Amino acid sequence: MIPSDPKQVTQICFDRIRIPDQRRLEVARANGAYSFLPTVLNEFNSEQIIEEVKKSGLRGRGGAGFPTGLKWSFVPRNTGKPTYLLCNADEGEPGTFKDRDIMRYDPHLLIEGMIMAGYALGVRDAYIYIRGEFVAEARVLNEAIAEAYAANLLGENILGSGYSMHLTVHRGAGAYICGEETALIESLEGKPGRPRFKPPFPAVEGFYRCPTVVNNVETLSTIPAILKHGGDWHAAIGAPNSAGCKIFSVSGHVNRPGNYEVPMGTPLKTLIEDYCGGLKRGTVPKAIIPGGSSAPWLTSEHYELPLTFDDLVKAGSMLGSGAIIVMDETADVIKIARRLSHFYAHESCGQCTPCREGTGWLERLMIRLEAGKARASDIEVLRDAAEHMAGRTICALADGAAAPVLSMLKHFPEEVRARVVEKAA
Amino acid sequence: MTTLFIDDKEITVEPGTSILEACRRHGIEVPYFCYHPELSVAANCRMCLVEVEGWNKPAASCCTPVSEGMKVRTRTEALKKDREMIMEYLLIHHPLDCPVCDQGGDCKLQDYAVEYGPSKGRYSEPKRAVINYDLGPFVNTCMTRCIHCTRCVRFANEIAGTGDIGVLNRGDHMTIAGIVEEALESELSGNLPDICPVGALLDKPSHDLARPWELSHHSSTCIQCPNGCDIQIESRGEQVMRIRPVEGSPEPFICDRGRYVYDSFRSPARILEPQIRQGDGFGSATWEEAFARTVELLKDKRVGILFSPYWSLEGLMSIRLMRDAVFPDAKVAFDLHRRDMRPFAFEEGFSMTTEQIESADQVVVLGCDLRQRLPLLMLRLRKRSRQGRPVTRIGAMNYRTNMSLSNDALIRPRDWHAVIARAMEQVQQLGKTAAGMDEWMASVDGRHEAGKLLADALMADTCALIVGEEIRSHEDAASLIYGLDLLMRACGHAEEGRDGRNLVPEAMNAQMLSAVFGDVRASAGELFALAQAGELDALVLVGSDPVGDGLFPSAAKAALERVPLVQVGAIEGEISRYAEVKLPAAAYVEIEGTFLNMEGRVRTANKPVKSLGEERPLWKVMMRLAMEMGSEPPVVSLEELREALYAAMPEVRDACNSVECDACLIRVGRNRDARALPRKTAEAFPLDVVSRYSMYREGMWARASELLSEAGRIHALDDVLVHPDTLAELGLKPGPLVVESFLGRHTFDIGVRDDVSPGVIYIAKRGVAGDLSDVTSARLVGCGGDS
Repeated sequence: MIPSDPKQVTQICFDRIRIPDQRRLEVARANGAYSFLPTVLNEFNSEQIIEEVKKSGLRGRGGAGFPTGLKWSFVPRNTGKPTYLLCNADEGEPGTFKDRDIMRYDPHLLIEGMIMAGYALGVRDAYIYIRGEFVAEARVLNEAIAEAYAANLLGENILGSGYSMHLTVHRGAGAYICGEETALIESLEGKPGRPRFKPPFPAVEGFYRCPTVVNNVETLSTIPAILKHGGDWHAAIGAPNSAGCKIFSVSGHVNRPGNYEVPMGTPLKTLIEDYCGGLKRGTVPKAIIPGGSSAPWLTSEHYELPLTFDDLVKAGSMLGSGAIIVMDETADVIKIARRLSHFYAHESCGQCTPCREGTGWLERLMIRLEAGKARASDIEVLRDAAEHMAGRTICALADGAAAPVLSMLKHFPEEVRARVVEKAA
Repeated sequence: MTTLFIDDKEITVEPGTSILEACRRHGIEVPYFCYHPELSVAANCRMCLVEVEGWNKPAASCCTPVSEGMKVRTRTEALKKDREMIMEYLLIHHPLDCPVCDQGGDCKLQDYAVEYGPSKGRYSEPKRAVINYDLGPFVNTCMTRCIHCTRCVRFANEIAGTGDIGVLNRGDHMTIAGIVEEALESELSGNLPDICPVGALLDKPSHDLARPWELSHHSSTCIQCPNGCDIQIESRGEQVMRIRPVEGSPEPFICDRGRYVYDSFRSPARILEPQIRQGDGFGSATWEEAFARTVELLKDKRVGILFSPYWSLEGLMSIRLMRDAVFPDAKVAFDLHRRDMRPFAFEEGFSMTTEQIESADQVVVLGCDLRQRLPLLMLRLRKRSRQGRPVTRIGAMNYRTNMSLSNDALIRPRDWHAVIARAMEQVQQLGKTAAGMDEWMASVDGRHEAGKLLADALMADTCALIVGEEIRSHEDAASLIYGLDLLMRACGHAEEGRDGRNLVPEAMNAQMLSAVFGDVRASAGELFALAQAGELDALVLVGSDPVGDGLFPSAAKAALERVPLVQVGAIEGEISRYAEVKLPAAAYVEIEGTFLNMEGRVRTANKPVKSLGEERPLWKVMMRLAMEMGSEPPVVSLEELREALYAAMPEVRDACNSVECDACLIRVGRNRDARALPRKTAEAFPLDVVSRYSMYREGMWARASELLSEAGRIHALDDVLVHPDTLAELGLKPGPLVVESFLGRHTFDIGVRDDVSPGVIYIAKRGVAGDLSDVTSARLVGCGGDS
């Protein structure tokens, strides 16, 4: 059970995740799932729910960190069009594997959150857009949804409240870009996943040009706790402007990689040393990618940084999806940047000129650099090509593609220079 | 209105305008590739980046709406670098083959590379090459040059409505492709090379033939359909290289018929010198000899005059002047698709502009293949359908429109009366009526449910009625149009400013033809019948081909077996084999002249292409004919001719003198007394015959054009089509069947398609099945016997 004293809260989404068979409705209900749902459906109205979520200070857990309550309040009412709720379960950001655990171990938490969000937004049809590779997770979700329908937790007139909502799982086809909310919408509409420019924002014109809210799995899974304990309760957890707990997917050179949910504001060093069993080698990491592969890298000087949205921005990076990739001194940063460049060149949708042409250019330059075949003049070309992609495109994929290359050039200029000089000599 | 500052210049535009549009309207140059004012915004080229004060990154100006007080900068050091980089990215995979690329010299990429690009690219990795796709007879592809702006994809989706171009793959593997092994299914495909900002899509017929700077430009009016688009003819010496739309004219695009007809200007079918029949062939002659023969054939004879409505107003006026001077009793005919020559309650021509039709609350199309007849109007209907506005259609054939119709009903031409009567009943129930309606309804026995769709649409505040050839060529057209007029008047769609009555004319200049020739016109069929009955001694044909086109080919042939033909014109048709004399007149692109389109807009052609042979402007030929026949020529100069025209139609003078010529519309004629009631005559045969108008093969110019003929072959349907139920009822199977009509028995290969209304024989290929064009009803019988 999550303590009602915010000071004692250490985890929210993962609270019941270790309970065996929690994915089964019977077990989940025995452990409190859906217990507060009737109260919400019968006693809360839409404004109250949105107000509580606003008060909670919850910020989107998918990467951009946009305040959830605010996003919900942007949805226009009485447009004559249906409003859609889409759960972004495309979890494709390299290094991120948190949503997957929620879906496969505690799917009813997500479903409950979606019903509550759907009720608040007046949604009749909701979708979970799940990453194509998550075959087993999609199966678990579908089984859970079937159980929920059978128990009248989904479908017409949920638990006799008069509210009806249908929930469908849609599997993606393997494109990273479909995790971007407007590309996700395009893909769900049956088109190639290419981001739309904004405005109009999905809240006004999204799925089939109707008002649409797209939320991350972790975000939606936090809603039941917020409504049960109140917005103020959630706001008191974590750090200022970064309320609540956050799941961090830690990978790389640590002794116990994995998902760890901690209150926000927990120092990076604490997470790595106390939870992940410390670094494999050495005492401080050589480089850390703190928010998924698209986030600019940090180095040892930021090792004690508290994990909040603001502190990471101040350090020149971002919290992103909370995927922390740790590199110790054995890491070949050029190889890592080259590998990430390959990923972005492969995943660029091809719409915008800088990204379509730039990601391929970066990759080809990085291949030469890694192989020691780059000229010294190529370093400037690399920097120019990367710098002028970021922020010039419809979506942020180009920013993500530029980040590893620019971080490598910024933090490890000697290594880069050495690789150029190495073969020229 | 929103006020913003662009480069410190205060600018006021409508709210919602994009920054780029605001810049374009105020002459501030912002470079762009993917943006096109007629297409949806894609925002993918990123060339149009600008800086907005207070924003942390540059914004794409094409997709960023203006806001009050916004401060925009279009020229800063950072933007200069950004544009340089965009050019560098774009040129990574673009081949440096400008010297052999047709676009060179007229290429956005080339221009911007000079203006905004770095002097040297730094990309030194491998380049890519892309496989070309076959996009039909008019579009040449070189996809390695593509910069992926997706203008062509959006054009195919939004303007052509065909959606047969798409994007394959991602990242720098992205390619633009058509549907494999299939030509573009669009009558607008020739616009793709214009839309493409680089040399990826190029005009195929003119490919590798000329450089942009070698071409001289001529402005003229296209007369290939009643829409009368402005055209720019590009020639090198005597060679016409291509035709393109004119920027800033009412239509930003032109159709393939108007664009690719140009190869006929220099085809062997042109009449370039006077000719006199010698045995089975023709021999060259001097003008004197040819006129001597003409006088011999026409002097003191009973003459019928047939002419094409496609001449300029001046040319048409000269025909009238010549007739009055030389053959004051002669009947004239100019419409090859009209069987009923009684006055129509509303004459041919449009009461609305195409812009008004685009924005009307309701549009009803009655019996018209607009995509073939008026492709540019079809484009506007497609636009309105994209905006969710309704379009209703009633007719004998489910013509391909490349858009979704909101309502659609298939009927037989003999049902038109019942459709209109059903609509009248419904509007009367709602208290809307007009004097004469009861009488009209009482003359019709049946009621057809399709009338509900018509009546429903008439309830809207503004309703555009587009009446097509199925009604115009109906044997009882005058009563149908009177019936529609009653409906429109009853529902308030005939009042000044809300007039929604539009009758698709045969050709250009309809308003002038009904105003100037209204008192002497006859149907072409009538003239042929008179000739056949021995009541005419000769026919004068001024640029028309009743054997190859129209609804009277059999009658024309029968008439010409009996009487001699004098042909005046710019191009030969199938009728030319009957001519005794051929007198050359200049083609429409070779004259200075004035034209009227269906909306009544005055179009002027003032920079003609050079003539090739001895042809003279039509008015000179007509005046010379008058002289040779012993009359004083009514006019001796173009100025005098124009005065005569202006005397007959003062509003044309006003329009020509106005600075806003496009806004002066010549009004369509109305005949208040045209109160034709439905005729009660039964059709002779059980099935109705409807024939198709194909833009690729209708008219002498199109048939003389190899380019259009080739496209016609690609887009051809089966010869004759019927609904499967029609055959099932008769116990027949598709294949060779006998069509029995008043012309006798003909065998055709009959195909089935459920796009044809049951009870209708649809002649899809008029030229092949030309012998049926005269027929309105027929019977189908098996080949073996008389079943």
